[in-house]
Amino acid sequence: MERQRVLSPPYRTVVKPYGQALVELARHRPEIVCLTGDLTRQCEIDLFQAEFPDRFIHAGMAEANMIGVAGALARQGLMPFVHSFGVFTTRRPLDQIVNAVAYPRLPVRIVGFMPGISSPGGPSHQAIEDLALMRALPNMTVIDVADATETAQAVAAIADIPGPVYLRLKRGEIPVIFPDDHRISLDRAQLLTDALESDVALLASGMMVAPALATATTLNASGVAVTVVNVPVIKPLDTTTVLAAAGASQVVITAENHSIIGGLGSAVAETLAEAGLGRPLRRIGLQDTFAEGALTAQYLFAKYGLTVQHLVDTAWSALDCPGTPPSAHPPAGRADEYSPV
Amino acid sequence: MQPDSPGLRRLATAIRLRAVRMVAPQGFGYLGQALSAAEQYAAVYGAAYRPGTDRVVCSPGHYVIAAYAAAAETGLIDEAALASYGQNGSALEAIGTERSPVPDYTCGSLGQGLSAAAGFAVADRLQGRPEVRTFAFLSDGELQEGQVWEAAMFAGHYALDRLTVLLDANNSQVDGPVDSITTIEPVAAKWRAFGWDAADLDGHDVAAIATELGMAATRPRVLICRTSTRHGLSCLPPDADGHFIKLPADLAEAAIAELTAELAR
Repeated sequence: MERQRVLSPPYRTVVKPYGQALVELARHRPEIVCLTGDLTRQCEIDLFQAEFPDRFIHAGMAEANMIGVAGALARQGLMPFVHSFGVFTTRRPLDQIVNAVAYPRLPVRIVGFMPGISSPGGPSHQAIEDLALMRALPNMTVIDVADATETAQAVAAIADIPGPVYLRLKRGEIPVIFPDDHRISLDRAQLLTDALESDVALLASGMMVAPALATATTLNASGVAVTVVNVPVIKPLDTTTVLAAAGASQVVITAENHSIIGGLGSAVAETLAEAGLGRPLRRIGLQDTFAEGALTAQYLFAKYGLTVQHLVDTAWSALDCPGTPPSAHPPAGRADEYSPV
Repeated sequence: MQPDSPGLRRLATAIRLRAVRMVAPQGFGYLGQALSAAEQYAAVYGAAYRPGTDRVVCSPGHYVIAAYAAAAETGLIDEAALASYGQNGSALEAIGTERSPVPDYTCGSLGQGLSAAAGFAVADRLQGRPEVRTFAFLSDGELQEGQVWEAAMFAGHYALDRLTVLLDANNSQVDGPVDSITTIEPVAAKWRAFGWDAADLDGHDVAAIATELGMAATRPRVLICRTSTRHGLSCLPPDADGHFIKLPADLAEAAIAELTAELAR
């Protein structure tokens, strides 16, 4: 298994990697049409609107109808990319996604921004069960990417998937964790540390990949070996890599910016159990609770257990290590840089 | 196509007869939907719809029985297939699904069809097919679903003039008459307020429906067809549940005799 190179924190950030990638793809894919539920700039598709106004459709704040329209467009050979925040593209039109998109297995790309508690906007705006909802649907591919490099590559990578896709994206300033020569894989979860054999297999997706890497740095300094695996595709899950990493480690930890029910943690638990691979499993994520509105996402990550220190402490206790776990000190970046909490 | 009134009236009766025969083996089923909507399906399949060109959306999937019957009458499907309606393993499921023949799109979950119909009309516009019409069958109970009005607003905004809705206003839903559950009136005024042309008419006057379907439009158009779930079958008891009619063997026999006699007139 080849290790993927990663950059060092604090990470440089970019804006609108998704919006730029969609415009690039649409240049040579005339079947792509872009739908928005009144969140055009927030979903980076003001770029698409400027470039391809004739292929841009305002659906307004009417997500159920937007999904139904998208399904019909797909039936006519078009490839709709549907945009809103993750709560509004999954929770609200779930029955429409089931009947108009997933069951007929149409190539609709549902893009949900502002995942989990990256939004300080409270439970109405925090998509903490979007992965669970989408993962439960037959035919659906579910993706939660970590950084700008993978975001940009994911757009082109999903274009040729025959069925529907849910793409979950961070909003705003997007960190660059992977170098330019990195290649996203929709088939294989990727090893981000040196060895497969370790004390802890840390399987992370989306915004929890950066904290997972920082956790490895902290634990390695204390003599605990950590294997970090980047799992951008929650479904279909690369069970081969999951089992290889888990089998080569003493304990398994999953990390996701999502409820621990129904997302990556559940998918890994199912995989381990069905393979008969007995490993202590700890699931980092929202512990079956709604979060709250606040001023900053950093506050919420700390309050709801998504920080590097939480990951370090969880590994420490799962391994029964003696004494106090080491303190995590993710490097503080400048205002235009990104560092996990 | 010129509406031929006697022919269309006969087609509506034939749709009722086929629906009775499809429901009879089970002894119950979605017969009321076919009885109330027979003239709407007769007008579309007999006088307006061009196979291979136009599109049909059946929003309430329970009505697909009427589409099957109309298609068998007009040669779009093999009439022998109707015998499998609702049976185990049949492609002619009683509530329409993805694999249902005849309509281009059938929804089982109510209130979703107009969005698809609007999507078809937008696709035709984007892809340069001005000749294509989209006919969407809806029911009045569906107007309780918010998505219908999202779609109505969307279609009105984009002035989807190739979209025509046939709204079966049969005042019937599972819990009882629609107007005893929620007040949906004034229906025509609602659609007009959303940017549609609306006609309010006797839904059992097939010639009137056909004439409306032939009119030119600059906006999306809804035909509010006032109907009864027992129309055309006088042998049904007056308290028959329009959503899910019970049709025991003796009643089925009487119904078949009544409709066969009507066709022979």
